[in-house]
Amino acid sequence: MASVSVRRVDEVPDKELLARHAQGDPHAFAELVNRHRDRMWAVALRTLGDPEEAADALQDACLSAFRAAGRFRGDAAVTTWLHRIVVNACLDRVRRRSVRPATPMGDDAAFDAVAPKMPDPTDAHGVSLDVREALAALPFEQRAALVLVDMMGYSVEDAARVLEVPAGTIKSRCARGRARLAPLLGHHRNRPAPRNVGGGEGGGTS
Amino acid sequence: MNNPAHLDYDTLADLAEGLLADDRAASVNAHLDACADCRDRSADLADVSRLLAEAPVPAMPAELASRIDQAIAAESLNSAAVASLEQRRGRRHWRILSAAAATVAVLGGGAVVAQSALQNGGDGAAHVPASDAGRAAPLNAAAFTVEHSGTDYRAGDVARQVGALLGTLRTAELRTQGGQAAATLLGCVEAVTRGRTPELVDQARYQGAPATVIAAPGASGVRDIWVVGADCTPQRPHVLAHTTASRG
Repeated sequence: MASVSVRRVDEVPDKELLARHAQGDPHAFAELVNRHRDRMWAVALRTLGDPEEAADALQDACLSAFRAAGRFRGDAAVTTWLHRIVVNACLDRVRRRSVRPATPMGDDAAFDAVAPKMPDPTDAHGVSLDVREALAALPFEQRAALVLVDMMGYSVEDAARVLEVPAGTIKSRCARGRARLAPLLGHHRNRPAPRNVGGGEGGGTS
Repeated sequence: MNNPAHLDYDTLADLAEGLLADDRAASVNAHLDACADCRDRSADLADVSRLLAEAPVPAMPAELASRIDQAIAAESLNSAAVASLEQRRGRRHWRILSAAAATVAVLGGGAVVAQSALQNGGDGAAHVPASDAGRAAPLNAAAFTVEHSGTDYRAGDVARQVGALLGTLRTAELRTQGGQAAATLLGCVEAVTRGRTPELVDQARYQGAPATVIAAPGASGVRDIWVVGADCTPQRPHVLAHTTASRG
């Protein structure tokens, strides 16, 4: 009986899983995806907005990563590399969407088809839906930057590595995006409603 | 209040990111010191980041997880097909061995349910201790029984079929079976579940071809289900499909 490694697979670092995959271990890549799938899904879903497109993009991304694993350079975190591939797959979807008419498929039906079956806490659900709608108002680049920095907690530097742009570009995209979202998300604030700015003098951005 | 130069969200967002030139930042800060309305706007921007951060992280839907697992499994098969000849030579040995093992399993079968190697009994209640002393499986796999349900599993319906079968198994007859087949299968199951105790190991058919269906509890109420080829070995499990389902 050949010996089988019984080392707990969740103790294996990401980079080693990727190396095992490159060496032909048939489980290593699936384990890597399994380990990070919720965050990868969150990036895809939030960046694209549409669950069906996000699902397609994520599958594309996983297969791209599977094939490209041998070219992974060890100087980046595996999650950074994975998220870059996810974001690029999402961007591909956006570009394709822009050259063909919007699909007539009912968004609600599509969302229900892949939505988690778990009940959400009502209040959190309400906020997240509005956040989703508000994010949809942003250009892709601003949305992707905010998804990584504000939603996923990436540092500006790490987001810059994922999106392969300078850190200053990330800061600028985040600033533009937040400025655009501020009036859209106003009703979720726990503070008293802001006073009328300027008392009729103009200068507001509403 | 009488300040014509109220600050818009863009300016305030740039300030927060340190993107304004020094002199502009100074005048903006001076305005903020004097203007409560613009401080409110500045707080609005901080709230945007807070709201985004607080949005719940969506779990990947189980259907999508299994779809991606299947795509990866299919991709694994493709890439295995172009593996070097040297590797294939090494693997042929195992294929032959496992084909022989499968034959043993069939000949030794006849029982509706067979019993495989046991080491750390799990919940021993439903399991008959193995009687075969010749089985030297140096593995930590816990007990499992090997079914021969005769099911022809179908793509897309595996999760339901497994659920239905598990619902009827408690009354099934248990028999013991040992030997080479069990050791090979044990290694296969161990490799596929990565040490988790399977709920079901069913040597049956998938899409009309001989296959073994393995189900094991996964994280947070999910059941992982794999379909592996009849030639499954620890070195080459030959996963045909993988899906997940909630455990009913």
